[in-house]
Amino acid sequence: MTAALLFAQVEKVATPKLDWAATAPLLILCGAALLLLLISSLTTSRPARGTYAVITVLASAFAIGTAGVLWARVTDAERGAFTTAAGALTVDGFSVFFIVVISLGIALSALLADDYLRRENLDGPELYVLMLLSGAGGIVMAMANDLIVVFLGLETLSIALYVMAGFNRRRAESRESAMKYFVLGAFSSAFLLYGIAFIYGATGSTNLGDIAGFLNANTLEHTGLLLGGFALLLVGFGFKASAVPFHVWTPDVYQGAPTPVTAFMASASKAAAFAALLRVFVSTFAEYRLDWQPLIWGIAVLTLVVGSVLAIVQTDVKRMMAYSSISHAGFILVGVQAATAQGVSAALFYVLSYTFMIVGTFGVATLVSGKGDEHHGLEAYRGLSRRRPGLALTFTVFLLAQAGVPLTSGFLAKFYVIGAAVDAHSYALALIAMLSSVVSAFLYLRIVVAMYMTDEEGAEPGPRVRVPLGAGVALGLAVAFTVVVGILPQQVVHWADRAIPVVLASGR
Amino acid sequence: MIAQNIAFGILAASSVLAAIRMVTTKNVVHAALYLVVVLGSVAANYILLAAEFVAVVQLLVYIGAIVVLFLFGVMLTRAKLGHEGELDNDQRGLAAVTALLILGILGYVLVDYFGDDKLPQLNRTHEQLNATRGTGAVGNAIFSTYLIPFEVVSVLLLAALVGAIVLARRD
Repeated sequence: MTAALLFAQVEKVATPKLDWAATAPLLILCGAALLLLLISSLTTSRPARGTYAVITVLASAFAIGTAGVLWARVTDAERGAFTTAAGALTVDGFSVFFIVVISLGIALSALLADDYLRRENLDGPELYVLMLLSGAGGIVMAMANDLIVVFLGLETLSIALYVMAGFNRRRAESRESAMKYFVLGAFSSAFLLYGIAFIYGATGSTNLGDIAGFLNANTLEHTGLLLGGFALLLVGFGFKASAVPFHVWTPDVYQGAPTPVTAFMASASKAAAFAALLRVFVSTFAEYRLDWQPLIWGIAVLTLVVGSVLAIVQTDVKRMMAYSSISHAGFILVGVQAATAQGVSAALFYVLSYTFMIVGTFGVATLVSGKGDEHHGLEAYRGLSRRRPGLALTFTVFLLAQAGVPLTSGFLAKFYVIGAAVDAHSYALALIAMLSSVVSAFLYLRIVVAMYMTDEEGAEPGPRVRVPLGAGVALGLAVAFTVVVGILPQQVVHWADRAIPVVLASGR
Repeated sequence: MIAQNIAFGILAASSVLAAIRMVTTKNVVHAALYLVVVLGSVAANYILLAAEFVAVVQLLVYIGAIVVLFLFGVMLTRAKLGHEGELDNDQRGLAAVTALLILGILGYVLVDYFGDDKLPQLNRTHEQLNATRGTGAVGNAIFSTYLIPFEVVSVLLLAALVGAIVLARRD
């Protein structure tokens, strides 16, 4: 009786309208993670080889498919971008672009992980579950229209990544890298939260649309709080994107983490960090461009120089690639620094091509390292062209693309980014980017030389390398993309041009 | 307002003193107990701001769960409780400089922006206040404006749960 009376008095909560089609990619990835857990707990016998990986790849493919439907909707001139769930998520070309990039990162890394897990005796659904949840967090970051949503997306992405880094429990390096990543990552999250609090204090909102509206309508008498917020947010995003001086974790974690996880970190996680950086800074804080551009300028220069110079002195290939990924982050920052539509589009093109290049690179490293994930020294690659000519050629394509050799997507990516910097009159930055690209070319050529030009007489042959099906498919896709887009970039450029982030006020 | 200012002064002083003792004490268990004082003062501050729901959550989550976890962790991993000589390392000078620098910057921007701004005087009844920022308002916000963040938190917890099992499981 009393209970019925109580219920009668309760007024209904006005729940916001949710666009299911817009959240479909997220729901598919999370649903697939739950499905994997369910399958593994309901089946008593081991499922057929590669079941988990196939489900993960299919889920990512579905997510990309729904993203394609969304793309047609948001690029339609009449309908355009919109926000959903009470202005918490934005659906525009930019979000859809990153849904595709992050889903590709998941699918390609899962293909690499399949054989790796069996080789290391770690077979099970957990890594895929974490990868899917982590990717969903990254997509939330890219779609977020609210700083709180950005933060929660980043935390979901990170927590899963901390565990993935320590997934190979038998390797001390793997456990150590997880610990390092966790401690520093938690620290950087605190900076991000402080930044959000500052921005809230200065503008009275955490919603990106409302912040942009406030900054357009008002002139702040004291900008200290806002600028402090910019700096703290940059620390948080810079850490995830491994920009100097927030990069110290990168070499150790990239080296220690299982190699397919490193591939995921360098592709999906870095993409998500840049997605948040672009939407929050370039679009939301556009009014205060002149205040944050110098900060990004400084970080970009440091990142380019430190990344390419320190990469040269490494002897471990995974560590080299960690430093080179730092210098690639510098190139993307050059596009961010331009703060123009052209710069954003160039950064997007860079992120997409880099995803394929780096997954391919770490894919080859996964295969060459052999059982135990041990052989990452340059000597493991000596004479690879004789033992595995196809693999050596594939690796050469990825290395040349990273160096920025013409006819690869890497060249065009660097070209567009530097072009955007020149058009934004950042001549010094463009020059530094070009010089650092020359410096880092030395590093990539060093590996190519080791593969092709070392005579094997006297030297003991490296470990036997076999190419399993899943990794073969991933490498094939990555090479195909790198070469085809290197020659015919028009379609991808067209997509990147239409994927400029928009910031919409809540309630639309 | 004077009573509130006095209460704030006492809470602020006790939380800062407890925080300093927490990092200077040589005993891990004492450090955890000082943390209780710090977190409790923060909860009391929330009550001063009429945010009773947040205050209760602060007590439940931080003192009820996190500090208890700390104590369990200390109990299960360390052979003997009591004085520990090796809690410090030689970077404490650097850490102090960094902490003071951050304190200076954060303090400066807050003073610079808010200066002598006063909180708006709210001459409202208790019911009116509750409708805009009480527990009911928090509940409504979670299922309306913050629906997506709320759901994302559940994904975050799922990731943490799976991760904890992965890390803790024996082969």
